[in-house]
Amino acid sequence: MKLVRSDILENLWMALATLRANKLRSFLTVVGVIIGVVTVMVIASAIAGIDVAITREVESLGTRSMYISKFNPGIHVGRLSREERMRKPLTYDDAIALSKLPALDTAVPFIDVGSNFFGQKIQVSSSGKTSASVGLQGTLPDFEKAGTQVVAEGRFFSQFENDTNQNVCVIGAKVADDFFRFGSPVGDTLKIGEQEFRVVGVLQKREQFLFSGGSDDQNNVIYMPYNVARKLKPNSDDIYLLAVAKPGQMQAAMDQVTDTLRIRRQVPFGKPDNFGIETTESLISSFHAITGGIAIGMVVISSVGLMVGGIGVMNIMLVSVTERTREIGVRKAIGARRRDIMWQFLIEAMTLTGFGGLVGLIIGWLGTLLVKLVMPSYVPLWAPAAGFIASVGIGMIFGLWPAWKAARLDPIESLRYE
Amino acid sequence: MTETPIATATATSVVTKPNLVSPDGKIQVLIAMQNIWKTYDMGAEKVHALHGVSFEVHRGEYVAITGPSGSGKSTLMNLIGCLDTPSQGDYWLNGKNVSEMDDDELARIRNQEVGFVFQTFNLLARATALHNVELPLIYGGIPSAKRHEMAKQALGEVDLTDRMMHRPNELSGGQRQRVAIARALVNHPSILLADEPTGALDTATSYDIMNLFEKLHEDGNTIILVTHEHDIAARAHRVISIRDGLIEKDEQIK
Repeated sequence: MKLVRSDILENLWMALATLRANKLRSFLTVVGVIIGVVTVMVIASAIAGIDVAITREVESLGTRSMYISKFNPGIHVGRLSREERMRKPLTYDDAIALSKLPALDTAVPFIDVGSNFFGQKIQVSSSGKTSASVGLQGTLPDFEKAGTQVVAEGRFFSQFENDTNQNVCVIGAKVADDFFRFGSPVGDTLKIGEQEFRVVGVLQKREQFLFSGGSDDQNNVIYMPYNVARKLKPNSDDIYLLAVAKPGQMQAAMDQVTDTLRIRRQVPFGKPDNFGIETTESLISSFHAITGGIAIGMVVISSVGLMVGGIGVMNIMLVSVTERTREIGVRKAIGARRRDIMWQFLIEAMTLTGFGGLVGLIIGWLGTLLVKLVMPSYVPLWAPAAGFIASVGIGMIFGLWPAWKAARLDPIESLRYE
Repeated sequence: MTETPIATATATSVVTKPNLVSPDGKIQVLIAMQNIWKTYDMGAEKVHALHGVSFEVHRGEYVAITGPSGSGKSTLMNLIGCLDTPSQGDYWLNGKNVSEMDDDELARIRNQEVGFVFQTFNLLARATALHNVELPLIYGGIPSAKRHEMAKQALGEVDLTDRMMHRPNELSGGQRQRVAIARALVNHPSILLADEPTGALDTATSYDIMNLFEKLHEDGNTIILVTHEHDIAARAHRVISIRDGLIEKDEQIK
């Protein structure tokens, strides 16, 4: 025979009355459940927020862009393998070869000249200020075509300026703010290392989606002609390529880039690539792998809280069954079957933890507001739903044994119980 | 229920249903106890609480069961109330052989056929009088509107209509026992089984409660009163005295 709806409501009503009668005890019992649910809410909102921020940030690198390096794609943890470290660098000529492929709009090399021949940081200075933390990159004017950097003022340097080794540069918004507080930087000069550079353009400020220690390094950059950078640090082999596919030809472009680079880098047939191509999509999915890992960690942490809470609930339900032995006897005497008693105590346990879940949701929601102050966050719909279902489920699982004990009590002995 | 004899499936005993209606149809046997034994296994030794008790109670009777403590009186009451089953013998309640029923079937019988009244009332402290009276109906699966109506009627029968929404701690002892009686009556059971119903009450209130039982009996209810007090037992119409697990005396006093 199934339990009719009125019985559930009846039991719920009785359970709420019991909770009301034991307010403090009920609250203390579900503290573990509350902590568990709060943990789920806060961490889930942080992860969801980071996920969105990463997606937006990576997508701002251009959905048609491919970033090619000599290392395997993905996020590296720990030391690279010897084979990977010993790979030969990508070259300027690789970029030129790729730029001629039919499915590509353009391809440019980047050379990192953040430190000089001796590994010392190259200083950037102007009007008495000096900084060693500016990112210095050499590239070709076609970089502008990728559309990831927009010139706000002035112009990008030209192919002619590259070919004739002129000391010109385009600076990021932060560099402009730091070194040229008053007036336009365009036409002014900067000292990079020992050489004077003329500023020909200022880049639009790039939005910062994730907190990154306040360094704002996306805007703290200087781009100079590739040939000039090459002269600044002749031994640099820290080269990566940016290739931009024609609209709608991303897959074809990837295939062509792979084929071309395999031939140019003499990868034998059947051997894996000795370079890596990162696309927006692959970057996002590798970040998702990280946030997914954190999410699993979160589930483990919060389930410890929920477990502890569950044991508390079981304990208090066992006490409650003992305390109410006589009531159980009376209920049985007037016709309650085992399953009626079982349901009564199960619903009571579920009401108890469900109430804890609701309190946890409220506190957790307030917590996510705090999280929002320091990092991107939003509450994904599944978090409160999962939190509430988990807490009710905890009540059911840990209420099972006490409820079964109650259901099994002998009516005669229960009625005699003092 | 068929009136033909029923044979149980067990090979060891053949149960014969007793004649439950007199030939003229005026007397209905509500309770038929046939050679009831109850034995408790106390580890090494077996204790016989009842050894071979047989009696019948007809519809509309007012019976007191008395006896000193340890006489088997409580055991007999538990059996009558279907809280327990006999070790041996058959018990027919309102035409049903309850001696071999399982827990859930017994619960159903208790719900439908027996109304319990306890010495210490045993009301739910957190529930109103009305809700307490409704409780057996909840387990009987009766929808809430009907429940309210039946519970109100039962409270009316014990003159507590104006106290319906009070909780037990807002009621006097006599009022609490009347709520308990209303709870016992609400399902229109075959028997009203009262265990020392005045044991926790003062003399004047006891008198009121006994008058109420009298009135309920006149209304046609079958009442079985378990008590060790002779003046309370004397209010019944028939007294069954138990001693050492056997019926010592069974006399009609009114």
